[in-house]
Amino acid sequence: MIRALLALAAALLLGSCARGGDRTEIVLQRFFGECGAVYGRSIDVRAAESECGILTTLINRFQAENHDVRVKVNVVAWPGYPQLSAQIAAGDPPDLVTMHQSAISDYAGRGLLEPMDGILRQAGLGASSFTDASKRGVVKAGRFYGMPWDTIGRLWHINTKLMAQAGLMRGDRPVLPRSPEELLEQARQFHHATGKPYLILAQVGAPDYHVANLYTYLLAQDAVIFPDSRHIRLDTPQARQIVTLFRTLNAEGLSTRNQDFPGATAAFTNGQGGIFPTGTWMIGPYDQEAATPGHALYRSYAVLPFPRLWGHDAAFVDGHAWVMPRRERSPRQRQAVVRFLHFMAAHNFEWTRTGHLPAVRAVLDTSEFRALPHRGDIAAMAATGAQLPAYVQRQSAIQGLIGEELEGAVAGIEPVDHALADAERRVNELLSQIL
Amino acid sequence: MSTTRQRMPLPALIGVTIGAAIMVTPLLWTLLLSFKSNAELMRDSATAFSGPYTFENYRAILVGSTVSRWLLNSLIVSLGTTAGVLILCSLAGFGFARLDFPFRRILFVFVLLGLAIPEQAVILPRHQLFAALHLHNSYPGLILPGLAGPFGVFFMTQYFRAIPIELDEAAKLDGASPFTIFRKVLLPLTIPAQATLGVFTFLGTWNDYWWPLISATTSDRFTLTVGLASSQMNYAQTSGLGFLMAQAVFASIPILIVYILFQKQIVRAMAGTAVR
Repeated sequence: MIRALLALAAALLLGSCARGGDRTEIVLQRFFGECGAVYGRSIDVRAAESECGILTTLINRFQAENHDVRVKVNVVAWPGYPQLSAQIAAGDPPDLVTMHQSAISDYAGRGLLEPMDGILRQAGLGASSFTDASKRGVVKAGRFYGMPWDTIGRLWHINTKLMAQAGLMRGDRPVLPRSPEELLEQARQFHHATGKPYLILAQVGAPDYHVANLYTYLLAQDAVIFPDSRHIRLDTPQARQIVTLFRTLNAEGLSTRNQDFPGATAAFTNGQGGIFPTGTWMIGPYDQEAATPGHALYRSYAVLPFPRLWGHDAAFVDGHAWVMPRRERSPRQRQAVVRFLHFMAAHNFEWTRTGHLPAVRAVLDTSEFRALPHRGDIAAMAATGAQLPAYVQRQSAIQGLIGEELEGAVAGIEPVDHALADAERRVNELLSQIL
Repeated sequence: MSTTRQRMPLPALIGVTIGAAIMVTPLLWTLLLSFKSNAELMRDSATAFSGPYTFENYRAILVGSTVSRWLLNSLIVSLGTTAGVLILCSLAGFGFARLDFPFRRILFVFVLLGLAIPEQAVILPRHQLFAALHLHNSYPGLILPGLAGPFGVFFMTQYFRAIPIELDEAAKLDGASPFTIFRKVLLPLTIPAQATLGVFTFLGTWNDYWWPLISATTSDRFTLTVGLASSQMNYAQTSGLGFLMAQAVFASIPILIVYILFQKQIVRAMAGTAVR
C-alpha cells in the first residue's frame, strides 16, 4: 500500500514537473495598480471595471486560454520607469512592459527597446491596424517601438445643467466657443448666470494640466514647439496669446483658483463649475455620478474634445503601449509574446471601457464601442490627437519645468513674457544635458 | 529612590497640548479617511466626519494581494539589517574606542566621511556592483547596503569612549582578552545605545523606499513600502483616496508598535542623552 502511494506521489510529482517544464515563461511588467482582491482569479473580462480590473482579467483570460505559456506579472509602482531602468542596467529587464508613449523616445533613443515591426507582423498587426494618433506615439524613426494600447488625452468634461442655466446649450448639446474672444464672452455669461466659474482648472501642483492646454493650442496653430531635439520654442506670440487667455480667465474669476487636481476633481463632481478640462480616464467616474440620482452631475454630464479656439482641431495626447526591452529571448518566448500581443489587440475594445480611446483602428467603427457613453463625441481625437516629435526626450521632465512657470503666469504672479522665456531657457538647459 | 515629576506650568501645558493636537490631527484625518469609501471621498473628503464607515479599503489590502509576503520581506530585511548593524557597529565602535592599531585615526575620519555622502551619489555604482554579483531581487541584496552605517560606528565609538577605561584595566588584570572585555564587560553596558541604534536602524530600513524600489523589482521580493506603492492606481489621490489612506495606516502599524515598545530609547536618543 505504502509503495503504491509512493509510486503515485512520484508519478504526480514527475507529471507536474513535466507540465511546468513545458510552459514558456514571459515576464510582463505593468503599472495600473494591484486589484488581486477583486479580480485575482476572474477571467470574465466583460464584468471587470477600471484599468486595473480590466487588465488583470485580460491577462488571466490569456493565461486560461494559453496553458503552455506562463505569464509572470510584475505590478510596479506608477509609472515604473525607475524600476525598468534599474532592470535594464542590471541586464534583466522583463519581456513586455507597459510604457507611456511619451516615454518611448527616452528608451528607444538609447537602443534599449527592441523594434517590434516583425513581432507585430507575426501577430497579424500592421501599420494600418492602428489609429493615427496611437501610431504617432509608438513609431520612432520609421519603426514601431511598441504596440499601442490606447490614446489618452484631455477633454472638456461639461456640467450640462449649469450650461443650460447659462443659456449655453443647444438642444442637448453644449455650445462651446470657437475663438478666444468667444470663450471669454461665454465664460462671463456663464459666471453672470450661475455665479460659478466657467472653467475648473487644476492649477496647483498639476503642471501637466497647464502644459496640455498650451501644447494643444500650439499644435492647433501648427506651431513648431521643438525645432530640433535640443531646443524648445516657447517665447512666441502664439504661446503668449494662449497663456494670456488663461491668465485673463483666472484674473476675472472665470476659472477656479488655487486648486490641485483632487480639489478640481471634487469641485466638478459637486457642480462647482461648468467645465473641467481633464483626462479621458475620468469619463467612467463622472458617468457614474451622472447616473446617480441626487448627485450634482445627475443627468447633467457631457464630454467633448477641446474646442477649436485657434487654427484647426487638435489635441495633445499620450497613450499607453506594450514595449519589449532588448534582451535575449528564446524562439518560444518570442512566440508567446506574439500570441500575447495578438490577444491584447483583439481585446482592445475592453480597454476602451476605461475611457481611453482605442489604439486598434477597427474598434473605432464597432457598434459596441460607439454604444459606450460619449465615445461617439470623442472618437475624433483618435485622428486629431498629436504628440511631440519622436526626437523629443525627457517629455515628462519638460512638462514639469514648463508647468511650474505657467502656474505663476496663469495665477498672475509672474508676467507671461518672463514665464515663457524662463520656461524656454530651463527646458533648453535640460535638453542640452542629454547625452 | 523615588523621583518626583515637576508640574508643568499652565501656559506651557496649553502650548504643548496645542502642539500635540496639531501633530495628531493629520494622523486622525488619515485614519478617518481610511474608513470611507473611495467614491464618497472623491465627491467630498469632508464626508469623513460622518458615516457610513467601511472596512472595504483594508479588505482590499489584505485579501488576494501579496501583502503578507511584502510584510514578511520587510520584517526579514529590517530585522536582518538591524542585527547586522548592531553587530558590526559594536565591533567597530569598540575597535575605534579601545584598540590601538595602525591608521586608526585616519580610518575613523574615513568612516565619518561616509556621513557626508548621500545615498543617491553612490546608487549607480552600487546597483551595478549588485547586478554583477547577482544580488538583486534577493534578501542579501536588500540587507547588505544598510550594513554600511557610518552613523552607527560613530555612535557606538562615542559610547564606548564614555565608558571608564578602568573597567578594561580591571578585566585585563583578571586575564581577559580584548574580545572577552568587549563581550563580557563593555557590551552589556552599551545596551541603551544598542537599543537606540537598533530602533533607528529598524525604522529607517522599514521606511526605506528608494533602494528596494530599484533592487527588488519582482513582486515576490517587494518590501511593504514598494509593494503598497505598486498597488496604487494612477490617480489614487482622487479616485482611490480611502485606499491610499488605508495603505498609509497599514504600513505604519508596525512602526507604531516599535515606537510604543521603545519609546524610552527613542526619546532619550532624541534628547541626546543616549551618548553619555
